[in-house]
Amino acid sequence: MKAYTQRVYAMCYRFTNSASEAQDLTQEVFLRVFRTLKSFRAGEGSFLVWLTRLTRNLLIDHYRRNRTDRVTDSIEDQLGVLEEKVSLSTRTDGMLAGREASEVLQAGLARLSPELREAVILRDVEEMEYREIAQVLNVPEGTVKSRLNRGRAELARVLRRHKVVV
Amino acid sequence: MNCAELEILLCDYLDGALPAERKAEVEAHLAGCASCASLAKDAQAAVEFIGRAEVVEPPPELLTRILFHLRGEVQREAPVAAGARHWFAQWLRPVLQPKFAMGMAMTVLSLSMLGRFAGIEVRQLTAADLDPVKIVMNIEDRVHRGWLAVRKYYENLRLVYEIQTRIQEWTVPEEDDQPAANDASKGPATDGASGRPSTDRRERGAK
Repeated sequence: MKAYTQRVYAMCYRFTNSASEAQDLTQEVFLRVFRTLKSFRAGEGSFLVWLTRLTRNLLIDHYRRNRTDRVTDSIEDQLGVLEEKVSLSTRTDGMLAGREASEVLQAGLARLSPELREAVILRDVEEMEYREIAQVLNVPEGTVKSRLNRGRAELARVLRRHKVVV
Repeated sequence: MNCAELEILLCDYLDGALPAERKAEVEAHLAGCASCASLAKDAQAAVEFIGRAEVVEPPPELLTRILFHLRGEVQREAPVAAGARHWFAQWLRPVLQPKFAMGMAMTVLSLSMLGRFAGIEVRQLTAADLDPVKIVMNIEDRVHRGWLAVRKYYENLRLVYEIQTRIQEWTVPEEDDQPAANDASKGPATDGASGRPSTDRRERGAK
């Protein structure tokens, strides 16, 4: 339960960029898991894929509901975080790591489209197999890889634009 | 290899999961295609940066909060399934209040104190005492001992009664005989001691 909570929370936090929203969404995910556990059939796939798909659907619903608020308030905040962390990195060895890298990554992910963001999160944060990601997103494996390449490249460009050493 | 094929193979290339032959093909294409080389470079940089970032940990209270809400959810669904147990619990709910528990605790405490003052020895209950066989044997033993005590008391009572009856039987004839014996002994004695009164009486009667 603890390991799954960590996975779901990390996915929600990386996607929404808000600790409180991630907590509420993680809670909602587990309540839905409890209510719909009967619909899970072990023969049709792994529990992890089922749980991730459920989380992803909830995140997409949440994103659609809050899309207008997010456009107005988040970008400026994210740019602020990037600038602050970059100035910190130039004072040290220029290479961010640990908590600072995590915060900058968060700011960078927020600049990606939801489609690319979810691909990057599922592969590079959640470390899922391409086959599993394809099942979660209900797209071919080739599409997953394509989105992943574009998402990673876009993230690197965003970070470089704000003078983050990558 | 064209750019579209490279895009499919790039993920496996960055993972280091390509066979040597395919890897050589990808590297050959990257050497000749600037846009694909740029894509590969950026993707590689992003993967490395994400690898350096700290893993996101949920706040410690989140799991407790989820479990609390799940428990609430279970309890909401429980009444349908609980049936008789739920009905029984609802009946007992007014009794199972803290004030009743406190009252019960005080009663037990008072009784134990009274028992202590009265000299009743209370033995500490052990796990072995809760063995059903031992409990049945204990009850049987107590019933047997109780029955023996009642029988003994009854027999003692009967013995006492018999003795009393026998004594009474013995004493009653004596009492019955006593007046006759008294009369018999009294007459000559009176006469012997003072013959005059009876003579007087006889004389008074004759007169």
